[in-house]
Amino acid sequence: MSSEEIITVNKLVHDARSPLNRISMNAELIKLILENDMPKEKGIQAIDKIISACQECSNTLQILSSQHGGKQHG
Amino acid sequence: MLNVLLVDDDIEFTDVAANIIEFLGHQVSVAGNLKEAYEWLDSQPFEHILLDFMLPDGSGLHLVDHLKKMGSTAQVTFITGHPSVKGILAEISGPKMDYLVKPLQREDIEGALSGKTKVKKVPKTSAIKRHFDCLIGESAPMQELYLMIERVAKTSANVMLMGSSGVGKEVVASAIHKASQAQGQLVTTNCGALSKELIGSELFGHEKGAFTGAIAKKDGVFERAENGTLFLDEVTEMPIDMQPNLLRVLESKKVIKVGGTKEIPVNCRVVSATNRTMESIAQDNILREDVYFRLAVFPITIPSLRERKEDIPLLAKAFLEELNTENACQYVWTEAQLERLSRFDWPGNVRELRHSVHRAFIMSDPTGNEIQLPSTFESPFSLSQKPSNNVAAGQTIENVEKELIRITLEKVDGNKTTAAQMLGISTKTLYNRLHAYGDFAE
Repeated sequence: MSSEEIITVNKLVHDARSPLNRISMNAELIKLILENDMPKEKGIQAIDKIISACQECSNTLQILSSQHGGKQHG
Repeated sequence: MLNVLLVDDDIEFTDVAANIIEFLGHQVSVAGNLKEAYEWLDSQPFEHILLDFMLPDGSGLHLVDHLKKMGSTAQVTFITGHPSVKGILAEISGPKMDYLVKPLQREDIEGALSGKTKVKKVPKTSAIKRHFDCLIGESAPMQELYLMIERVAKTSANVMLMGSSGVGKEVVASAIHKASQAQGQLVTTNCGALSKELIGSELFGHEKGAFTGAIAKKDGVFERAENGTLFLDEVTEMPIDMQPNLLRVLESKKVIKVGGTKEIPVNCRVVSATNRTMESIAQDNILREDVYFRLAVFPITIPSLRERKEDIPLLAKAFLEELNTENACQYVWTEAQLERLSRFDWPGNVRELRHSVHRAFIMSDPTGNEIQLPSTFESPFSLSQKPSNNVAAGQTIENVEKELIRITLEKVDGNKTTAAQMLGISTKTLYNRLHAYGDFAE
């Protein structure tokens, strides 16, 4: 892999980490809401954010796969 | 409760993180870039800053520089999603700086805000005992110090820590806080770093609109240390005309915010620190007598490193262990190196020793495991306190005279005329002496 390709892959990995971070934090928030018997609306909002972040993460992985996946196995 | 500043450009992340931080019982402000962060820092003090490494208008390191210029004592925890940045952050992290790598979990944030992430850096296999999780040393003066900490921690008495620069006053304050098992936080403020105009607001808080720039109501350090410990570092640098206000709070246990009228009850132990001597405090009119007796209900003098030289090998080993753990290295001391470290006077105390160990660590050959000590440990502070001669009982007059001539010649780069003038003898006499000793013959 060339240095340019390494930079692109690193950027895509970083882009995938951001939604993963949101998923992790929203899951922690849901845990706090459930543990402390708080209003479920806030929990539902957090779940929606997790679903949206999963989609975003999936898109980034798709780009990563289409740009570099073939080369690794080819 | 801590006042936390969260700086990150990912709004969705800051939204959820702010929720969690508030849930953990802290007050949180959010900035999406450096500019907003500077504005927050100008408007109020923060105890902890959670900081993204890469921001739209610069690096998180710019904010660290800004904090240093402000004299802020805030703890900084970098948050990064770049695995490559992790190594850089591990290099620069220290007692006031730490880092977390995304994706985060609640316990990461909880740990960072309670200062527990730092504990991870202590090697699990370390055989070196850390008293109260932070103090190292088994010498008699340290045993006496531990006993004092244990005894005073059981009471609510205010403590004044005395000792020269670098002895570890903040670490002792932390040990007292830990030993007291207080429910509240340890809140630190440096009285020497605050301007006369801001000190009232820092200590007692202010109401919104109390003065130009007071854009929001702010709690002072007394309120933030509720049921905990307030550490007032460099207390003797507080302007004398502000001290009656401090006295009133210490006596009444109530604060009135700047621009406010309501008395707010406060409950915290005050641990203060100074590197002034008792004589200087008494003679230089820097601390009011009534304030001194309120603050120094239990004064503790922390021993200097030269008073506990037997602890030097232990401290050097502990510092090297920490550096080895942080950097995945295996450096070890030789007995001769530890002996050499023990012989030095360390006028800058534990701080200077730590600095020298760190410097040696950086300079050591990365392919080996032997630490390389520099040829000299001299710092600007050690030079100023270096003994001017090596006179000791039992030496002959001839030897002392010889040594005096040697160091005088060294001082004037070998110029014999100047050296003779300094010694109060003629140049001819100096030449005769040099000839007699032989050692300095040209």
